[in-house]
Amino acid sequence: MSPEIIVAVTGFILLLADLFLAEKNKRVLAPLALVGIFAALVSLALILPNAGETLGGRFAVNPVTSWFKIFFLLGGAFTVALVWNSKSHERISSGGEFFTILLFTQVGMMFLISARELITLYISLELSTIPLFALAAWKRGDIQSGEAGLKYVVYGALASALLLYGLGVLYGVSGHFELATIRDNISSTPALWLAAALIIAGIGFKLTLTPFHMWAADVYQGAPTAVTAYLSVASKAAGLAFMFQLLFGVFGEQISDWKWLIALLATATMTLGNLVAIVQHNIKRFMAFSSISQAGNLILGFIGPYPEGVAAMLFYMLVFVFTNIAVFGVIIFYSDATGQTQIDEYRGLSRTNPLIALTMTLALFGLAGIPPLAGFVGKFFLFSIAAKAGMHWLVAVAAINSTISLYYYLRIVRAMYIEPPDEKSCRLVVSPVMQVTLLMASFGVVFLGIFPFFYDVIQESTAGWIAMFGGR
Amino acid sequence: MGLVSWLIFIPFITALAVMMTPSRKTMLFRWIALAGTSLHLLLTAVVTYQYWSQAIANVNADSKALFSTLYLVEKIPWFESLGIQYMVGVDGISVSMVMLTSIVIFAGVLASWSVAERGKEFFAMLLILVTGVFGVFVSFDLFLFFIFYELAVLPMYLLIGIWGTGPKEYAAMKLTLMLMLSSALILVGILALHHGSEFHTFDLTKLAETNYPLDFQNWVFPLVFVGFGVIGALYPLHTWSPDGHSSAPTAVSMLHAGVLMKLGGYGALRVGIYLLPEGAKNWAMFFMVVTTINIIYGAFAAIKQKDLKYFTAYSSVSHCGFVLFGVAALNLIGIRGAVIQMFSHGIMTALFFGLIGMVYSRTHTRMIPEMGGLGQRMPWLSTCFYIAGLASLGLPGLFGFVAESNVFFGGFFGNPWGDMTLAKILTVIATLSIVVTAVYVLRGLAQVFQGPLDETKFGNVTDAALPDKISAGILVATLAIGGLLPWYFVRLIESSLMPLVNRLASNGGGW
Repeated sequence: MSPEIIVAVTGFILLLADLFLAEKNKRVLAPLALVGIFAALVSLALILPNAGETLGGRFAVNPVTSWFKIFFLLGGAFTVALVWNSKSHERISSGGEFFTILLFTQVGMMFLISARELITLYISLELSTIPLFALAAWKRGDIQSGEAGLKYVVYGALASALLLYGLGVLYGVSGHFELATIRDNISSTPALWLAAALIIAGIGFKLTLTPFHMWAADVYQGAPTAVTAYLSVASKAAGLAFMFQLLFGVFGEQISDWKWLIALLATATMTLGNLVAIVQHNIKRFMAFSSISQAGNLILGFIGPYPEGVAAMLFYMLVFVFTNIAVFGVIIFYSDATGQTQIDEYRGLSRTNPLIALTMTLALFGLAGIPPLAGFVGKFFLFSIAAKAGMHWLVAVAAINSTISLYYYLRIVRAMYIEPPDEKSCRLVVSPVMQVTLLMASFGVVFLGIFPFFYDVIQESTAGWIAMFGGR
Repeated sequence: MGLVSWLIFIPFITALAVMMTPSRKTMLFRWIALAGTSLHLLLTAVVTYQYWSQAIANVNADSKALFSTLYLVEKIPWFESLGIQYMVGVDGISVSMVMLTSIVIFAGVLASWSVAERGKEFFAMLLILVTGVFGVFVSFDLFLFFIFYELAVLPMYLLIGIWGTGPKEYAAMKLTLMLMLSSALILVGILALHHGSEFHTFDLTKLAETNYPLDFQNWVFPLVFVGFGVIGALYPLHTWSPDGHSSAPTAVSMLHAGVLMKLGGYGALRVGIYLLPEGAKNWAMFFMVVTTINIIYGAFAAIKQKDLKYFTAYSSVSHCGFVLFGVAALNLIGIRGAVIQMFSHGIMTALFFGLIGMVYSRTHTRMIPEMGGLGQRMPWLSTCFYIAGLASLGLPGLFGFVAESNVFFGGFFGNPWGDMTLAKILTVIATLSIVVTAVYVLRGLAQVFQGPLDETKFGNVTDAALPDKISAGILVATLAIGGLLPWYFVRLIESSLMPLVNRLASNGGGW
């Protein structure tokens, strides 16, 4: 449990430091948060191959959970880095509470994937969601940010209620709290289906699956951009973790029965996200729909009880963290420097800042799944799972959706490369922290797919998951 | 790294080198690009020689092992647990396609010698595009193949969008989306092939040993054939091609019509016919009908065009129809003709588009009715134009004749799994397109180069400059050599086609 403890302790340290530090010394808060997260990452890397449990079996660790935690922490680290030194976030970066809240959500997510019984699961889910309401509404003077926070609370509360009801029914039909025991004590009854439907609704909210995605666009647009980035990667990874817990943890190998539901959800999510993204003008709103459609790709890994499905899903999540962070990094940079958030206003960026434009292009192509970028490799593996389950039509749907997404990603590329810049635009200065962040993210975008090392590590460490969940 | 890998990496490294050069040193990056492509030409010659000396000596006319002529193989595991590897090599078909691409890109770099606006990025993108093309031709792992295929398609968007003319953004977007949609079909096909095989691999040579069930072949084959057909301008999905070609800058049109469209024929052959022979037999007649429409439609559409580029683009649609027509004939002569047609049409169209670019940069118009008598001022360019035109209508002595005669013989022969009479009728119809071609080529050229010269408009136009002459010269020379000494080329291709045809014949159906 050391990574969780490190992150929680860092959170408290930041809270106290914020109280006692003089205003001008508060610059150290962001680096401090980063140090905490990196320490947790290191300790995670050390325990990665191991499996074990504690707290009387309520908290379990295995390579799959460790990978999820790595994604949460990577998302958190990148978010802190994006907040650090960015102008429009001055109030954020001087506020220790921001980092404290962020780190607490991280703890919640980490517990979420390790939890082995319903109560812990639910509490950790709430811990990872409720603080985000506050973060979404962080820009206090801003009416859109307030709206984002409010919408998020209302939808979030509704989703929580549904989820809690679903978990209650699940307890009712099985009589147990432990996931493993539930798995052995359930049979296919209408009550179980009700429970599953309610739970899927709860997960759908977190993971922005259609038709539970309604909140995403407004919240993504209104929230501070760094928070949007965090929502789109870490929070999404948490939703995925939760889905993993329920589908693999509770239903085990029986998830083959669920493949039609997953396929339909994936189809609806991808198609809707993509079609609506086409008509967006605000880049954050646009990214909200783009991220919705990506969630549709991610859940393809649940199509069948295949070990490579989990590996493919985890790999794509890893790629997605880097890719989305690269895009949001550029968005933050550009809106800080020019105040522009419309897609058309990116015109001519390739002339003034060619490297930034290149980063953005690589990241967008990565999201669209253009080889040889990591996004392509990840999507290919996920599509392969659908083909393995015999659902060739789903591969076609997903691949056509990728083409649609290419259309709207190309709109930004066109604005940056083909349209001439405004006369008054000049070279924009990129802060060193932003440079490092974008550089790291682009490295991920390019090299994760070319070097097989990353996939192989994930694949090897997770190959035995089916045994871990008591599969046959 | 072995020889074949260098075929892929030389253009890529050249692209990186071009990108590193400071943009104000305009001559430097041009020379780097030229040096890179010359080196590539040299390497292609070496690879061809190696293949020739190893394979041609050992040709076994009765072999049924599809990849028995695969040489210079390099195999490195990549995503091992998923059966993906980096696997490259060459067989007779690959060698000929690499030769084509290498010649066209060399000529293309020379033809775009004077690109001024953002020239550095232009050359870099161009080289990245051909990296993808070379990759497709030499990779023998479907995953790798697909990666290179998409890599070859996407740079087109920026190349046309930034450096194009006319409604370039529309054309670029249309082209990209149609090609990407078609690659979605290919992706479905590739994944189905992978999971349908018991070998759990993407290795093409292994997949070819799989006996896919008949109904599986029947639904995957059309998917793959149409998927690749889109980039090979299969009617009615060819509409991206005239718009794309006419909006693209010169070198890009050359590469696109000359090489990129050949990826379609190559892929349809390599993935479609090689892996799904039974599906091919069942669908062959259907696609023969469609490609006959292609041939006739393209030729008639070309007659009506007033813009030189549209004119050539529709003529390309017609000629690329020959490629798929030959492939669908499913016999040695037909497929051989298809491959020769890919080569000769590649060279010929590249020559056409290159010359159009050269004329346009002097006259600033591409409209045929506005021009006239230009032969007086540009004897060099007009001669080359006539040679290209004659090759296009299949004059004996030039490469086009070899290709088309093979395709027609093959088509007339028909395939024993389809309706032989229908095949003969279709071939006769397709042959008529030659007459139409003669009409549009001769009429168009006469209008541009003959007749009185409008002194006020074109009084000061000049003839080809040195880079233009080399660029056009090498293409003309290739057409002539291929036309006069076709048998070397035929033997090169046949060496790899024989096993395929033997295998097609052995699985049911008499020959």
